[in-house]
Amino acid sequence: MIEEPYRWVEAIANRAEYIETQLAAGSPIAAVGYRDGILFLTLGRNRQKLFEIYDRIAMGAIGHPGDIERLRMASIELASAEGFTRSAADVSLRRLAHYSLSPVLKTAFEQVYGPPYLARLLFAEIGQKQDSDLFLRLEYDGAIATNNAGFAQTRQDFGVISGTRESTELMEAFLRTELSAGATLERALKVGLDAWTIGQLALGDGAVKELPARDKIVSERKQRLRVGGVEAAILDRDDKIAIRYRPLSESEIRAALGD
Amino acid sequence: MEPIALGLDQSLSGASDDFPALLRRRGLLAPIPAQTGAPAAADRSWIPTQATTILAFKFQGGVLVAGDRRATSGNTVVYDRADKVLEIDRHSIMAIAGVPATAWEMARVLEHSFQYFRRTQLQEMSVDGKVRALSKLLRDNFGFVLQGVGIVVPIFATYDAGADPAARLYFYDAMGAQFEVTDYAATGSGSPAVRGILYYENNWGKKPLAKLNEDEAVTVALRALDTAAESDTATGGVDRNAKVFPIIKIVSGDGIATLSEKRIAALFKRSVA
Repeated sequence: MIEEPYRWVEAIANRAEYIETQLAAGSPIAAVGYRDGILFLTLGRNRQKLFEIYDRIAMGAIGHPGDIERLRMASIELASAEGFTRSAADVSLRRLAHYSLSPVLKTAFEQVYGPPYLARLLFAEIGQKQDSDLFLRLEYDGAIATNNAGFAQTRQDFGVISGTRESTELMEAFLRTELSAGATLERALKVGLDAWTIGQLALGDGAVKELPARDKIVSERKQRLRVGGVEAAILDRDDKIAIRYRPLSESEIRAALGD
Repeated sequence: MEPIALGLDQSLSGASDDFPALLRRRGLLAPIPAQTGAPAAADRSWIPTQATTILAFKFQGGVLVAGDRRATSGNTVVYDRADKVLEIDRHSIMAIAGVPATAWEMARVLEHSFQYFRRTQLQEMSVDGKVRALSKLLRDNFGFVLQGVGIVVPIFATYDAGADPAARLYFYDAMGAQFEVTDYAATGSGSPAVRGILYYENNWGKKPLAKLNEDEAVTVALRALDTAAESDTATGGVDRNAKVFPIIKIVSGDGIATLSEKRIAALFKRSVA
């Protein structure tokens, strides 16, 4: 099969389709930058989906728990070894993703006899100021998307992952209009939760194709909050503390939301 | 960061290495030396020293850990601003007597071990686990001690709000045996004098150490260090001209507080000098 390029391309295409199908049910995760930090948020508490990677880096993931676990462990190992030999300041998300994780994911994806990683990862690294926050999405094939300003896009203070591309794009469209720099944690929680709701509405059967109306989002959000718990964590911008990652408790979240 | 052979690693993370093992696997930490060589004691001209004074005791507000600032090599004072009371995590302090290079490296490994455990296992390491982790580092280092380099004799203080007693204090020997103490511990060359003072204060002082408030506790610590410095050349006293004061840290339910130089200076002036 390797000698026949066409069949290799076909195999890769099938594999991508298979992985996309596996990931399609993944509940969205939003990472939202605000004045004093970065907020990670998702709903449903079946299993933990938000993780601490290093002092200034956090990760959210959807996909197969086994694959997520291996990528998570590898990330922590790399960051910890780097932080130990050099310093915590030398641990960088950009290098972790570009030099270490991405090539491995690409290789696993393209070696059609081996298993690929069924995982889509969202990383964030807290900066000194909001404009140096880094949000980074890592796909199962090693593709990387960041929030940095490029030729075609402007910088954004958020990052999202979801089960499908449509859902992701809808969440991004919403956050682009609703989120402004310098928001409070309360504001970030509300906007993040709305973004999650929109992402969820855009998944599965009867998925919405455009941004739903305001009242539709609110009613849907309230209903979802009644059923499932919120999982949220923050990366604190306060550089006087070394460990910036802190999970938010359910009561803290409910108090901030005011409902 | 180097590329990783991720796809090939089939080990289960729940059964993963501890952090020192990870470092050794990556060649980032010295391998455990063989402990079969003839002990350096054969050469009687060399006597291992732990030139410093470290003390710790429990008081009303948690555990107080204090250390002088002098670092020596033989008869020479190398440095007069050494920090031998090190924060390992939000509720743990390791205070060191011994060879600084090994001790600081050990503190660094320990600090990263606790973080690594929490991040990978998604739970905080237990107090017993932390105490044991330091014990293992000392045991691994013992080959170096036998070769005549790298002796470290630390004190470990931690606070676990969920346990009874919440404040925990341990001292170690160079082989890694840990001893939990109820009241106080001291290590380093100035420790005999300090132990005498703490024993006296605890039994016949105005009140037992555990009943002291913060000001009283700091006063006892400063007086004890001053006494140690009086007879032990390897223990640095207070240099008021250069504003060199001992390092004093307090670990409690709120975390670790480092006493400001100003506060120590004021207390020193009032009740020691």
